[in-house]
Amino acid sequence: MFKLIVRRLLLGLATVGLVSLIIFGAVEALPGDACTAILQQDAQGQRLANCRAELGLDRPAWSRYGQWVGGVLRGDLGVSTHGAQPIAGIVGARLQNSLLLGGCALALGLPLAFGLGIAAALQRDRWLDVTVSSGAIAAMTIPEFVSATVLILVFSAWLGWLPGIVTVSADAPWTRFFPEILLPAVVLAMVMTAHILRTVRSSMIEVLDGEFVRMATLKGVPHAPRVLRHVLPNALLPAINVVALTIAWLLGGVVVIETVFNYPGLGRLTVTAISERDLAVVQTVALIVSALYVAINLAADLLTLVANPRLRTAVTRAS
Amino acid sequence: MNKFSGVLAALLLGVAVTAVAQPKGTFRQAHEVGFGTASDMDPISRGRVFHVTEKVMSRLVRPGLDGKPAPDLAVSWSANANATEWTFKLREGVRFHNGKPFTAADAAYSLKRVQDPKLDSPARAAIGMVSRIDAVDPTTLKLTLSAPFADLPLILTDYRLMVIPEGSGDTIKSTGIGTGPFKVEKFDAQGTSVLVANTDYYDGAPGVARMEIIGIPDAQARFQALLGKQIDMMPGLTAQQKTLLDRMGGFTLQEIPTGNWRGIVLHTGMKPFDDVRVRRAVRLAVDRKAMLGLAAGGAGTVGCDTPVGPRDQYRSTRTCAQDIAAAKALLAQAGYPNGLDMEINVATLEAVWPAMAEAFQQQVAAAGIRVKIVTVPTDGYWSNVWMKRPVTMTRWNDRPADSALNEVYRSGMKWNESGFKDAKFDAMLDGARSELNFERRRARYVEAQDYLWENGGTIVGFHVNLLVGAASRVKNLDAVENFSIRWHKITVD
Repeated sequence: MFKLIVRRLLLGLATVGLVSLIIFGAVEALPGDACTAILQQDAQGQRLANCRAELGLDRPAWSRYGQWVGGVLRGDLGVSTHGAQPIAGIVGARLQNSLLLGGCALALGLPLAFGLGIAAALQRDRWLDVTVSSGAIAAMTIPEFVSATVLILVFSAWLGWLPGIVTVSADAPWTRFFPEILLPAVVLAMVMTAHILRTVRSSMIEVLDGEFVRMATLKGVPHAPRVLRHVLPNALLPAINVVALTIAWLLGGVVVIETVFNYPGLGRLTVTAISERDLAVVQTVALIVSALYVAINLAADLLTLVANPRLRTAVTRAS
Repeated sequence: MNKFSGVLAALLLGVAVTAVAQPKGTFRQAHEVGFGTASDMDPISRGRVFHVTEKVMSRLVRPGLDGKPAPDLAVSWSANANATEWTFKLREGVRFHNGKPFTAADAAYSLKRVQDPKLDSPARAAIGMVSRIDAVDPTTLKLTLSAPFADLPLILTDYRLMVIPEGSGDTIKSTGIGTGPFKVEKFDAQGTSVLVANTDYYDGAPGVARMEIIGIPDAQARFQALLGKQIDMMPGLTAQQKTLLDRMGGFTLQEIPTGNWRGIVLHTGMKPFDDVRVRRAVRLAVDRKAMLGLAAGGAGTVGCDTPVGPRDQYRSTRTCAQDIAAAKALLAQAGYPNGLDMEINVATLEAVWPAMAEAFQQQVAAAGIRVKIVTVPTDGYWSNVWMKRPVTMTRWNDRPADSALNEVYRSGMKWNESGFKDAKFDAMLDGARSELNFERRRARYVEAQDYLWENGGTIVGFHVNLLVGAASRVKNLDAVENFSIRWHKITVD
């Protein structure tokens, strides 16, 4: 077990390192650099050369990458190219906001997803299942910005119940984000509920058809204890991976929702930083998001090992 | 009984008057956060958030509602016989928000700062002709010019030429101290900045007690904030958004002609556009009115390739129509009897460009000009495509006629996008600048614009109308372009 964890951690570090190299290369490959982004129409001649010298952009790419890596290993994430603010502060605030939004979406979506998924599987092919499944497919296929816009139109413009756009500063205390955070959290919950719900439903259906469940029925175990003690523990295992991926997505990849609702999170920061060619910020965010993905996947795998005794013996035997 | 009711009436009137005079309510506006983390309150820096600086600071001269220069911190001005020395009489009794009295020294400091090569402000070119700035006494400012310039007051209405306290250059970007109708309470470019009323403002206390300037980068999100009543005003609506607001009700809409224009540049230094006949032919083949209808839903004004705005006092009133036959004849004369092939570079940087390019392509096809539309990335458009390829798209913001003609068409200017080098044209501009008589000066500027119609390389498609939407609770919003709005006159219900 221990060897497994250590091996996974080392692989994870290698992944994060590779990701940072690829992201650096990708942003470098884009036309223009931080100076053409700041100066726009003025990006010519001497002024452009001065800007580049000031920001260190006249050095070759590998040298700048090496310097950044050195800085990170020392714990210095650097300063933002525009405005020269320390990155740790900027990214820290945005990360906190993304965590808050992700947390709210999970709080809304997870109970709903599991509850509806289990209920749909138990009532398979009856009206509850049909309604829930169709609703899930609709929520998954309609693009998030469409559902977001519709919700804003209904709840903000027509009914006036909730504010449509988030107008709070990025570094405000987390309590200030309510009630403006509700609509974005609902939209995110809609999308993630659909995915998790369908996974839960299909794995429940598969387990319900399994031989040991049939054995329990034949032995006379009543419905509720049968579902709780025999079906659920087995059916919910695959859901762990989906939930893990969803959490990782919520924390790093909800750019569209953040843009539509003007939410000051990590996604919007990344997009702004890329169009400003602010490499230090982009690299830091890439680092955080890839580390999150690696960590969450590792946690999911470990949780699965813990929850599923069958996997455990195989692994301990192998190591 | 009569005495009592008389006293009561007087008391109520007094209460009502004081109630009306007090600023009340909050007005909310959104800004683009165009400069992200580099946004600040320094009026001359590249990252200035003008939505804040225009309300907390004042200029020497402001654009009046009719477009002519009106007094702001300067109450009157006069020039010497050949317009090389200008004297400005300044307003007395004005204080900055920190209590310091405003004097000519502050005005001189602010203008000198704009000219400082170390600060490298984009506004430097605006007052490039000023060679000496003297604070003659606390209420008199004298500007000496390197060449005669009859329209100096108009130049000083530039929204970047705000007056800041003497010596505050290093701190102004975060303090925002000025003489304007509002004071900075909190500045957060990416979140919400809060401004409070300055009840000591020289033109009377503002109508609203508080203004919130909210940072919303996405245009669609800004529109949604307007619909959801989270902001009170949004300029720059599209025609579709205007229709939606019309139908929803609860909003007032303004359509304001501005000097912002969108165009197509034919570079006069690159083949085949170095031949004036080819340029003239291409420009004759365009139907600008149709292009305006297709690209901007008719919300604009067309002219004859003059960059001068429709409400500008110097605009040429010449009209011109599409003339395919003349275009074909000119092309044949220039050695292209079978027509011309060209590539036009378009990005989605500006919403109307793609539609303009397609309209252009269809219109000039009748004259045998075959246009291929090449889409280029928005990122890096200004550094890699504009001014570097033979045919590109362009956009310009509102400027006084002199700036519009000089910055874009004078030989050797940095942003002379069409590479136009014509000594005769430069002489026309110099002649106009030194002419003190308004009618004669106007005639010279018109002559210069007509010269551009004959010889220039830029197709000025149209000047856009600004569509402004405001919630009905907002009253007394001047129906003029942004930098002429008197923010202290606005009231909210």
